[in-house]
Amino acid sequence: MRREDVQPLLLQAADQLPEPELADAAWAAGVRVSRRRRRTVVISVIAFIVLAIVASILIEVGTSGNADITPPTTPPGYIEASGKISGIDYWVAPPPGSERFLDRLDTPLGDRLELPDKVRPLAKHTLETVAAVVLVKQGDRYAPVLLGADGSWAKADVGLVTVGGESPLSPGAISPYGRVVAFPQPGELITVNATTAEISRIPLPAGEFRSVSWVQDEQRVLISGPGAAYQVVVGEGGDGEQAVIPVSATDDPEEITSPYRIQTGAVMRYLFNGRWMEDGPLTLPVRSWQGQTMSSNSAAARLFIAEKLPEVPTRVSQPQVLAAISTLRTLPSRLLVLGEPQDNPPTYEGAGDRPFVRVAGCCAVLGWYDDSNVLFRVHGWVLAWNLESGRVRRVTEMRVDQVALGPGLRL
Amino acid sequence: MQDTVDPDFASFVDARQGRWLRSAYLVYGDLHRAEELLLRAFTQLSVRWTRVDDPDAFVQRMLYQPALRPWNRAKPFPDEEDPVKLALAELTPAQRTVFVLLHLEELTEFEVSELLGLSHTAVHAHGMSAFGRFRTAMGAGDWRDAR
Repeated sequence: MRREDVQPLLLQAADQLPEPELADAAWAAGVRVSRRRRRTVVISVIAFIVLAIVASILIEVGTSGNADITPPTTPPGYIEASGKISGIDYWVAPPPGSERFLDRLDTPLGDRLELPDKVRPLAKHTLETVAAVVLVKQGDRYAPVLLGADGSWAKADVGLVTVGGESPLSPGAISPYGRVVAFPQPGELITVNATTAEISRIPLPAGEFRSVSWVQDEQRVLISGPGAAYQVVVGEGGDGEQAVIPVSATDDPEEITSPYRIQTGAVMRYLFNGRWMEDGPLTLPVRSWQGQTMSSNSAAARLFIAEKLPEVPTRVSQPQVLAAISTLRTLPSRLLVLGEPQDNPPTYEGAGDRPFVRVAGCCAVLGWYDDSNVLFRVHGWVLAWNLESGRVRRVTEMRVDQVALGPGLRL
Repeated sequence: MQDTVDPDFASFVDARQGRWLRSAYLVYGDLHRAEELLLRAFTQLSVRWTRVDDPDAFVQRMLYQPALRPWNRAKPFPDEEDPVKLALAELTPAQRTVFVLLHLEELTEFEVSELLGLSHTAVHAHGMSAFGRFRTAMGAGDWRDAR
């Protein structure tokens, strides 16, 4: 058999088959298949949507209606308040000696604030914004040394004398925009413009002025001594405005501050014309106030020595409390109680710093880093207290006696 | 897809259905099954009628590839006495498929290879052994005598 013989044999074997008619049947079946597929797709989509709805309902029911993603009400690192003093939430600061181990708030002050080896004259190296001011003793006088926001130092060409035996550096010395620094002197006010190195001397009635505080417009300064205080125009002022007008004063020179001053029983707001009005009542167990009131856009802060606090008992010192009083009705006020060393008497075993007892006068509010962080001084350190989280951070270790802080701190 | 049959599709089916039914009958050894598979292949073609590039290859693949699947083991040509059908029944499904496509459809080994998804070598081997066994079954002697 040859290959050519195979095809006839196969054709013959299949020769008796009937002739099919498949075109109509195949097309009709194709129409049915096509419709079935389309129906399957539609049903699948509907089933998926129904399942998704059912699943979301089940999740909602299973989580008791709390399935919404809600943002946390507290910031990261939030510390619960320790309790309430006079109806205000309070936190307790880390104990003395532990400052070195706190998280750091980075500022131009650096890790350690000490006098620089070499300082250029301000006349040759002006500063855009002042971050801090310290005083350098030169004989019987002090020279102001200014730290710019860029971390550079410059010395102003002016000699300051002591006032009442104390250095003439007030925590409120730097103007709200960090361009001018004011110093109280006997019978006069000296201002140093950091951007031009211009020094102005404004004569005042006789008196031992110890404290300065800038009005927010940067055109006026409140200067005060025991029993006497004045508003001094250092900028342009208004038409016909007197350069120096008296302000109602108290025996505490550091109480005269703008725009707010915290005093026993009330928070007062300055009215630009030498007068004050009560912004709100204040009930706190205050024995005496320490330092100036420093204000941000939303709060005023001042430190006070408290009467005995049953909430935070102390053994060897009078409790000191930093009060951050909200000046906006919607925000709460907060308190920070400065702690004591954990041992009595304090022990020092080589780890960390010597745990000094925070005695009266050691601590005061220095200013604000921003609307959330108030800066304050304790023994040898500048610390920052975040009002939103309650957390205290270290800013810098102080190797100078005094410092005034300004808006140039914000990097 | 329209309800009435497409004239082009009808012409295509009419021109090929008789030949493919005969080939499928010889491959599967079962007229009912051959008809069923051919109808299914034409149905699938009708669904894709406007989108298929090579309708002949599409139908032939759907028609013959099931013969190679291992679960296709129904005995072909039951109750038949025709010596040609009995000789085809002696072949394996793969041999029978290749043999029919080579000798009845007159496809080349390369075309069969592409149609069935087999290698050319496998198609050649199936073709040679199928021809030898068919000859032997038909009483025509050893396949190596064939020319």
